[in-house]
Parts: sequence; structure tokens; C-alpha cells
Amino acid sequence: MDYTFQYGQVWPYLPYLLKGAWLSLQIAFLAFCGGMLIGTACAAVKTFGSGWMRHGVNAYVVFFVNTPQLVQIYFLYFALPDMGIFLSSYMAVLLGMTLNAGAYLTEIQRAGFESRRQSEMEAAEVLGFSRWQQIRYVILPHVAKVLFPPLSNHYILMTLGTSMAAIFGVEELTGRAFNINSETFRSLEVFSIVAVIYVVVTLVASVLLALFGRFVFRAKMRVV
Amino acid sequence: MGELAELLTYYNVIFLLKGMGTTFALSALGCILGGLFGTALAVARLTTGPLTLPLRALALVFTEFFRRVPFLVTLMLCFFIFQFSGLDVSTFTVGCVTVVLIGTAFLAEIVRAGLQSVHPNQWHAAETMNFTLLQTIRYVVLPQAWTVILPPAFGFFILFIKDSALASQIGVIELTYVGKVFNNRGFSAGVSFGVILVAYFMLSYPLSRLGAKLEKKLGSSRTR
Repeated sequence: MDYTFQYGQVWPYLPYLLKGAWLSLQIAFLAFCGGMLIGTACAAVKTFGSGWMRHGVNAYVVFFVNTPQLVQIYFLYFALPDMGIFLSSYMAVLLGMTLNAGAYLTEIQRAGFESRRQSEMEAAEVLGFSRWQQIRYVILPHVAKVLFPPLSNHYILMTLGTSMAAIFGVEELTGRAFNINSETFRSLEVFSIVAVIYVVVTLVASVLLALFGRFVFRAKMRVV
Repeated sequence: MGELAELLTYYNVIFLLKGMGTTFALSALGCILGGLFGTALAVARLTTGPLTLPLRALALVFTEFFRRVPFLVTLMLCFFIFQFSGLDVSTFTVGCVTVVLIGTAFLAEIVRAGLQSVHPNQWHAAETMNFTLLQTIRYVVLPQAWTVILPPAFGFFILFIKDSALASQIGVIELTYVGKVFNNRGFSAGVSFGVILVAYFMLSYPLSRLGAKLEKKLGSSRTR
């Protein structure tokens, strides 16, 4: 294998790539926030809801967890126009990722909801805490401590998952890599730089999340 | 509905089943080979002493790198490396190499967590009995750790069935690719990708039920 790396042609594109990385982070963040809303609502239904509502939520979670995100987005992007709903590629990816995240986050949050102990709440009640105070000072810190590590883990996975937006023509980090690749044909150089950017971005995010979790929620998290 | 009946002809169903087989083979290969290499990496990271320091560093860099680069980017890197190497390999092989690389990184972390779940006293006792590191792992740690390792490893296998959908991007004829072919043959996107979603579900759901059962069974037998 005789291949000479020529990074010189690709370096000028670095700011362009970094802007793409920013878009990746943005998609991951928006999808995660949307997923959190869906996940919290669904987990609440699963824990407290009545029979048929629980079944509905279950069907949603089981379906989205057991099918690939890529095919879900394919379906949204290519099949919805037949029904008269036109989504831009960005919106289709965002919607697909949000729905997918919602299903996974439901599962994660349910575990957190179930980790609250009856005795804890009874103790708080004995101490004369009002309902709101119970939630604010007893349940929330506990649940946050349990939930923060798996949630931040999923957030990192979602950041990596944004790369499939490139397939639909969204110009995020991987999408821009494809663009540069077709302009310069330095494929190995481009994709190795992009790989390193992903590593750095997620590493920084992991460390920040771990520090945040440790100091704010006292969650047991390994920094690096 | 009429279109669905049109799609599900004998040869199309065979094609679909072949795609399912390829998807299954890809993730199974990734998990089996990845499990073997991953165990080696996990053991390498447990060694002590200055002599094996480069080995430890290499294992650390490998796991951190491939866990933090998106599937699509790793796939493209492998694809172009094979292209420039001049080797004439099938896209299936490229897909396999990618899943093995990623599987190795993720399973190394799972195995390492499993090995570390065994109480330090056991390690120390084995050391006192003059066991080498490999003997300790083979006769003392693994018999206790495998119940901790197996459930998440199985979960990872199911995750891989869905992640390998991206391999369709380089032309591996697996389930997602089959959906694209159906779509290109003129079936509506809703029907072709709907069928693929159901096929993934049929592949993944029984396995995830099996995984949940496995976890329950092994979890209850674990006493310490």
C-alpha cells in the first residue's frame, strides 16, 4: 500500500468543518431536549398512567427501540411526502432523532422514576414537607443523581448519531466531510480529520458532563 | 394494501430474508470477533508494570477512539483504506471489518466493567496462590464475571443489528439496502420502508425479549 497523505489540501477547510461540528451539536441538543420532553411524559404515563395509555406508550417505545433510526428517518423523509407532509431534510432528521430519543429516554427515565423509595417520601411527609417540597428537596435530587449518568451517556451517543444526517444532505460535520471529499478527493485525510474532531468534541462533552454531574447532582461519574 | 401484496412476491420475500440474514450475520460477526478482541484489550488494560505500558496505552486509545467516532465515519475510513490498499474485497468484508473494529472497542469496555465487578479480594487471593494474570482471569474472575458481562453484551448485539443499517451506505446488501432497492423498483416509500421497519422489528424484538429474560435469570443467580 503506497499512499501519501496530503493534509495540506484539507487544512484550509478546517473552519468549514468546525462550523459543521457546531451544527451537529445543535441537532443533538435539540433532539435531546425534544426527546427529554417526550421521555418524561411517557415515563410518567408508564409509571402512573392507566391501562390503555400505558399500552400506547409501550407500543411507541417498543417499536422505536427495536428499529434502526436510519430507517425511521428514511420513512419520515420519503414516505410522509406521499401523505402531503413535506419536511426539509433537516426537519426530517431532527424529528426522527427526537422520536427515537424519546423512546430510549422513556426507558431510562422510567428506571429513575422507579428508583424513588416510598420510605423516603414518607419520611419527608413526617417531617412536614409539603408536596412541592417533597418533590423539590427529596425526589428530584435523588432521581437526578440516578438519572444523570445514563442520560449524559445517551447524549454522547446521540451526538455521534447525528452523523447519519449526512445521508439526507444536511451539512453537518459528516455531511461537510462528504462535500470536501467530492471537491478534493482526499478522502482518507478528510475522514481522519473528521474522526478526530468527533473524538475531541465528545471527549470535551463527556468531561464537562461528568464534572457537572459530580458537583451539581453528586452523581458518581468517572471523569475520563 | 394492494401494493403490499404486490411487493411480497416469492422472490422479493427471498430477497428480504437474505437481507435479514446479512444484517444478522454482520452484527453476529461484529459481536463474536469483537468480543474476542475486546476481551484481549480488556485484559491488556489490566496488566501492570512498565513493560506493558505501550500495550495499555494502545488499548486505551483504541477503545476511546472507536467509541467516539460515529459508525458512518468509521465505515467511510475503512471503505477508503481498502480502496487505496488495492485489495479486491467485497463491501460485505468492509462492513464486517467496521463492525468488528467498533464491536471490539465497545465490548472491551463491557468486559472490563465485568472483570472489575469481581471483588478485589478474589484477585488478591489468586495472586497469593501464585496465579498468573491469565490464570486468574481464566479460573477465578471469568467464571464469576460472565453473568455480569453477558446481558450488556447481548444488548450491544441487538443495538448492532440496528446500527449496521448504515452499512447500506457503501452498498452492503442488508435489510436497509433491500428497502432502497424496493423503493427504486417503484414501490412507494411508505410500503418499502414500512416493510423494512417491520422486518427489523421482527429480528430485534424477539432477541430483546430473550435478552431481558437472560438478564433476569442471570441477575437472580448472582449472589455476593
